[in-house]
Amino acid sequence: MFQAQSRRSAGEALRRTLVAALTVSSLAWATAASAQSAAQRAVDAAKKSCAGKTITIVWEAGLQSLDPLNFSGPKWEQLTGCKVKVVEVPTAEMFTKIMQEYRAGTGAYDALNVVPAWMPDLVQAGALENLDPYVDKNGFRAELQKIAPTYRDNQMMVNGKIYGFPDDGDVFLFYYRKDIFARPDLQKAFKAKYNYDLAPPKTWKQFDEIGSFLTETLKSEGIYGASFFREPPYAMLMFQERFRVEGGRFFDPQSMKATVNSPVGVRVLTEMRNENRFMPPGVEKFGFVENLAVFLDGKSAMTISWPPYGRFAAGYLSEEKALSWVPKSKIAGKVGYALPPGGHPELALGFALSVASSSKQKDLAYLFIQWLNSEEISSQRVQLPYALRDPFRDSHYTNKDYMAKWPDAKDYLAALGQAAQTGLLDLSLIQTDKYDEALRQGISKLWAGGDPKAILDDVAKQWDDTTQRVGVDKQKAVYSAWAAKSGAYPKK
Amino acid sequence: MSQRPGALAGSDGAAVAPPTRRGVRTRGFRLALVAPAIFVLLLVGVFPLVYLIVVSFQNITMTDVDTGFQGLLNYRLLATDGRLWEALLHTLIFIAIALPVELIFGLAMAQLFIERIPGRAVFVALLVLPVLVSPIVAGANWSLMFDNRFGPINQIIGWLAGQETALLWTIRPTLVYPAILVAEIWQWTPFMFLLLLAALSGVDRSQLEAAAIDGASWWRTFRKIVLPAIWPVIAVAVLIRGLDLFRLFDIVWALTRGGPGTMTETISIFTYVKGFQQFETSYTAAVALLIIVLLSAAVFWALKRVELAR
Repeated sequence: MFQAQSRRSAGEALRRTLVAALTVSSLAWATAASAQSAAQRAVDAAKKSCAGKTITIVWEAGLQSLDPLNFSGPKWEQLTGCKVKVVEVPTAEMFTKIMQEYRAGTGAYDALNVVPAWMPDLVQAGALENLDPYVDKNGFRAELQKIAPTYRDNQMMVNGKIYGFPDDGDVFLFYYRKDIFARPDLQKAFKAKYNYDLAPPKTWKQFDEIGSFLTETLKSEGIYGASFFREPPYAMLMFQERFRVEGGRFFDPQSMKATVNSPVGVRVLTEMRNENRFMPPGVEKFGFVENLAVFLDGKSAMTISWPPYGRFAAGYLSEEKALSWVPKSKIAGKVGYALPPGGHPELALGFALSVASSSKQKDLAYLFIQWLNSEEISSQRVQLPYALRDPFRDSHYTNKDYMAKWPDAKDYLAALGQAAQTGLLDLSLIQTDKYDEALRQGISKLWAGGDPKAILDDVAKQWDDTTQRVGVDKQKAVYSAWAAKSGAYPKK
Repeated sequence: MSQRPGALAGSDGAAVAPPTRRGVRTRGFRLALVAPAIFVLLLVGVFPLVYLIVVSFQNITMTDVDTGFQGLLNYRLLATDGRLWEALLHTLIFIAIALPVELIFGLAMAQLFIERIPGRAVFVALLVLPVLVSPIVAGANWSLMFDNRFGPINQIIGWLAGQETALLWTIRPTLVYPAILVAEIWQWTPFMFLLLLAALSGVDRSQLEAAAIDGASWWRTFRKIVLPAIWPVIAVAVLIRGLDLFRLFDIVWALTRGGPGTMTETISIFTYVKGFQQFETSYTAAVALLIIVLLSAAVFWALKRVELAR
């Protein structure tokens, strides 16, 4: 009996030892796994099935696509054996291409770059894969939480499900000439005229006063108070921001009737046209490049644009071959960065990474976009001088390497970090492009001399017609979900 | 006379011999030879048309999952769509101005170059160059020409006016139609010129010489001899250019994209925007059908006129 008892206690000890050993090794494995980065997890998972395969990804043509062509594509192939084929498509045709391929069911695209405002349309059509199961399977949820709040909370989900990883911190930033604003003669004259200090404007009223003052004073030196891109596709986004900053609402949430033609809208349009008077002649035709050329040439004191303006103005890697088209900056070291008047910049366009629902290799496509979007790889990608991907993760704004890129890079990143807290979403509904198109036409009529009230009445009518065609209740549900997002309207 | 058993009556009542087995085989062989061509024609011509009609009664919007039939809805929308009819009006305005101007300029140039002047071959070759340029490239070039800051047109006007000029050719409502028409007429007048030069070369010289001997004025000779001789060619040239102008797209797109607002939007741009930017596939099918009907009627009428001219 004693022997039997002794054997039992020995067996029990062995069992306990084994359980303890198993527990320790499991914990060690789990610790090691969690310590492993999301990028590495994607690489390890892809290696198992990737060899000899090719992933096709849709990317915006031009500088943007140099990222997968020169950097991320070759690197992914080196790490996993999986080739990356990049289909370059101009922005204006991306939605069409994606939808056409999806409808044709060719499975030609595996991964996609999509503008977040398109997501409701693409999801409703069934073109995007729900990424939640992949995120959980590959342990990416924690890293997704580290995306800057505005992008994470507004540009990732439709109907509570993840359909894309925000991957480009596109936002309108305010750029001004520090040297001009610091001139004692201008400061004195401005204070005498307006009774407040000459500083980056906090409101659009201040912007108008500073802009007209600087043009009056500096035009003889060939400098205008401000210049903006005014071509309708850009000005439409600027209107969306300013309209909301001034208190405007796009729709009545109960009836879904358009309220864009409210007095706020009319005032904003009127002011926008009046501002052209203190901007360079022909500003109505300025696009991204024209406005950039004027600003880098030192011919305007203030402007608003996407983040690359800040890098180009600083002359950051201006010797880069791909950037040879960028005019040489005459204002390096003289540019200050701030939020646009009102403090709620438009998250104009941007890109999210998605998986095509018609892809025949969704797992591989997912692993590629997880790797691209991860902390580790994205921080390298946003520093590529040529690729136009802008910071979008909390860590990007405090990245030591990035801060050392040029003397004012720290201020630049700080301004972007602020914008990532308060940015406003582009309007995103079913058939968004129809609403946008009506606004673009309205802006075009505004520059042609049309009456702001009549223009906005027509825009509102077109919006109401589109809403009727889509279905009031259906659109109302989408609008309510959009309006409930933190970046839809400024907090009162 | 009684008919022989098995014989068939002809149209004149005369007996016709029944087809022999060899004859039937030959006819079958001939049919077999043309059948693939007919099949291809049906496939590429009739099937798309039938499918277009079917789609125009559906609700395909590319982003909408419910694509069922919805009767005449698209046609009702079409009737009340002000933008569509405005686009049609803009197209007709372009045709009404560009077509006669191109014809008159083309004819004048052809008259000039019908004479054996020195360097004629070189000049003709140079004048024809615009036709060889892709319309979208021509539009992009004219966009640069009209640019308010760097374009030579504003600079030339500035020199003439003695002060800096920054006319916004593609934005101001009063300037945008002239800008488009200048580009369009520049590109396609040489086409008219070529056709009419060929037609003028074919006019009977003896008749012209006889008219000259009889002391007929230039205008009378032109009206009574030259114009009737080249009229069929003019009719065809006008028909071709008229149809081309009806589908005017590239130059307008490159210069204004249909703006300001929709002020210069042509029916082709409208169709493109609806079909390929907004994905209103079924509605666009209804618009396409309307265009087919309008164009068919115009072509039918024009061909009858050509026939009458002969």
